[in-house]
Amino acid sequence: MNRPGEEKLKHLFRPGSIGRFKTKNMVKYGACCVSNYNGRDGFITPRELARVRVIASTGCGIITNQGAYPDPLGEGKAYFRQVAIFDDKFIPQFETIAGYIHDAGAVAIQQILHAGRYGGIDLGYCIQPSVVPQTLPHFRPPRELTKEQIKAIVAQHADAARRAIRAGFDGTEVTSFMGYLLANFNSRFTNQRSDEYGGSVENRGRFMRELIDAVKQATPDSPMLIRLNAAELMDRWGGNSEDECFELMQQAVDCGVDMISVTVGWQEAPESSFGRDVSPGHWNHLSAKAKRLFPKTAIAFGNRLPDPVMADQCIRDGVFDYWEVCRPLLADPELIHKAAEDRLNEVRPCIGSLNCLSRLFRDLPYTCTMNPVLGHEVEPEYAITPAVEKKRIMVIGAGPAGMEAAITARKRGHEVTVFEKSAHIGGNLAAYAANDLARPEDLRSVIDYYRVMADKLGIEVRLNTEANAKFMRSVLHQYDVCLVAAGARTDLGAFRYLEGAELLVDALEVAHGRIKPGHRVVMVGGGMIGLTIAESLTKAGHEVVVVEEEKRVAGDVMPTFKWRHTAWVDELGIRTLTSSRLVKVTSEGATVKNAKGEESFVAADTVLVSSPRKANHDLFHEFQWMVDELHGAGDAVIARGLDAAIHEGYRMGVRI
Amino acid sequence: MANAFGDLSAWQAMLDRHAELFSEMSAGSRVGFVSRSESGVTPGKHVAGLMAAKGAGDMMAWERRETGMQTSLEDYAGFQDARVDLLFVAEDEALAAMREALSGEALGMIKRLIRKGGIMFYVMKNKYQLQDAGYEEFLESLGLSFLGACR
Repeated sequence: MNRPGEEKLKHLFRPGSIGRFKTKNMVKYGACCVSNYNGRDGFITPRELARVRVIASTGCGIITNQGAYPDPLGEGKAYFRQVAIFDDKFIPQFETIAGYIHDAGAVAIQQILHAGRYGGIDLGYCIQPSVVPQTLPHFRPPRELTKEQIKAIVAQHADAARRAIRAGFDGTEVTSFMGYLLANFNSRFTNQRSDEYGGSVENRGRFMRELIDAVKQATPDSPMLIRLNAAELMDRWGGNSEDECFELMQQAVDCGVDMISVTVGWQEAPESSFGRDVSPGHWNHLSAKAKRLFPKTAIAFGNRLPDPVMADQCIRDGVFDYWEVCRPLLADPELIHKAAEDRLNEVRPCIGSLNCLSRLFRDLPYTCTMNPVLGHEVEPEYAITPAVEKKRIMVIGAGPAGMEAAITARKRGHEVTVFEKSAHIGGNLAAYAANDLARPEDLRSVIDYYRVMADKLGIEVRLNTEANAKFMRSVLHQYDVCLVAAGARTDLGAFRYLEGAELLVDALEVAHGRIKPGHRVVMVGGGMIGLTIAESLTKAGHEVVVVEEEKRVAGDVMPTFKWRHTAWVDELGIRTLTSSRLVKVTSEGATVKNAKGEESFVAADTVLVSSPRKANHDLFHEFQWMVDELHGAGDAVIARGLDAAIHEGYRMGVRI
Repeated sequence: MANAFGDLSAWQAMLDRHAELFSEMSAGSRVGFVSRSESGVTPGKHVAGLMAAKGAGDMMAWERRETGMQTSLEDYAGFQDARVDLLFVAEDEALAAMREALSGEALGMIKRLIRKGGIMFYVMKNKYQLQDAGYEEFLESLGLSFLGACR
């Protein structure tokens, strides 16, 4: 330990061991997500290899490579472009990956993932212990496994493990997370068998025990890890209780697994396990219980635990042995190094938006809201390289798009000045954070990151400075480039012919705290902005009615978070009038017309407008002849959201 | 009350009020509701009960016909024979709450009951089949994730 952060986080950075292998620290890179970067035939692509090189260099003591399906039919294949390990022909590519991991000084673990109930993505069916219908339409109709098929699957896992070790991996991991085949046998939700594989916990655990035995026999000198639920969150559906989950863990311990990775939740569970609405550390008690019950088996854990400081304390307190981390490393692959160098304030935070998973369920490669490079590591165009010609750049707007562009351009050697008309950075993200019911700290951490990096890189941020034509004339020829990242605004002009339009109030003014609405509020627009403000106002005691032209609210919300908004609307009792539009406003309230042409009056003290939004294009026209290069990024180009802002800001930063 | 669902005309009126949710559905599309107690589904063994139940109770079917969504009562003989695209298994309390809400926000109530676990929900067709049959609007209205829900 010779870096300053290692001494501070000495539990996290102490060496450990797994089987016969030493680990340089107590951090395990978890195979949290299948990337979907690979071939439809299971072969690994250059895009994946470039990504794995980044993973290998994260500084983790153990690195788990993403789950590969072990069967030639693809019954175990969960994701559209998942890697395969059912044949020796795949071994050379796994050798490359094991090499990357070893070169970085980490222990290499290959995960074997048979998705069971969530598998068969290229087939018309999935396989399960019993025929239990799906609760999510994304997945395939079930077929029940015969005993012969069970034995074949066990053998396929053993063969896959053997191949992984031949390829140079140090150990293997099988996974039940989150509702895959192993979980399907363990859970009484999906295991209704009456033979020796079903019924009691002992019988339901038989498949797992056979699997462990087979893998251990196939790879006797290599550690075997297993990911098991401590809570399925499926109790109401007839799933396992917490006690049953721990009874199954006991069986795995008795079979001699080298590590249990404790997990929480199924994909179809009705509540969150690691979304932004779950507080960091929320599930730690489950890991602590596993550690208490199985003191001689290494316990890894990381569900909704994105903070290395918390992880260090957990290891100190015996909550777990290894911090299993993945999504925070998707957001910032330098996280562990920054922790070791005592630069945690420079970490690009994972905000738990689950953009990664939203894309997987649309059969797209995963990306990250916070990390624009994720998935583009193979493309040199995304690398930050010194600019051939150093330029003086002015960035208009200190929101995420502007700050991202400023930081990226500055790293390349440009001189960058940011002009922001308000008194703080963050743009509308600050207003969103101020009204967010889930985890406002997560959103604020993004702004904090930009502030820290701007300071560190010497980016001048001129607050309270509105960029307009007059201002531009005052700085004429002082800059080579102008990047307009001035965001979007509420388009009140869309209502200019409406009777009473002068009474309408911009919802963003309320979100920023510049206007206080009356007690009774009508919110025009039920998208992300309208709902977030409506929820916040309702929680503060206002009576809010949301009017939305579309058939449903939350149309522009990230799929993994849409359910949260609709649940909040229900829980808070917010009335929503969908397929409805505003037709008249008076000082008494708003008149609304629905799709059938029926008008109704909603009493209100304030009528707020959150939609439609309009990109701030005006500056483009004003500045067109005043600067050499004029570019745009984020909502200033097209009104969208945080991920587009950050990604476009970055892309502009690496291109200018 | 003759059955767990009460007066079917009240359900029909509710469906008529929300006709737009079903307007895109293909004729013949069917949704079923069964009561957990009448279906023999026992606590903690929901699926086992669901699968074991053979004609122990009634199923309220909603079927898309030319004139819109129509309710009817049928014998329930297990999900394999129910000929439905979606099957809702409701606790008795949930059914009572739904009946209470029929003249008001019944779909909102169903949505809340699904989230609270008072109603279980199974899909018998995959997303493409459901999409083709015009179910997206209805499923979204109940707050059900049409795609994955990993969260």
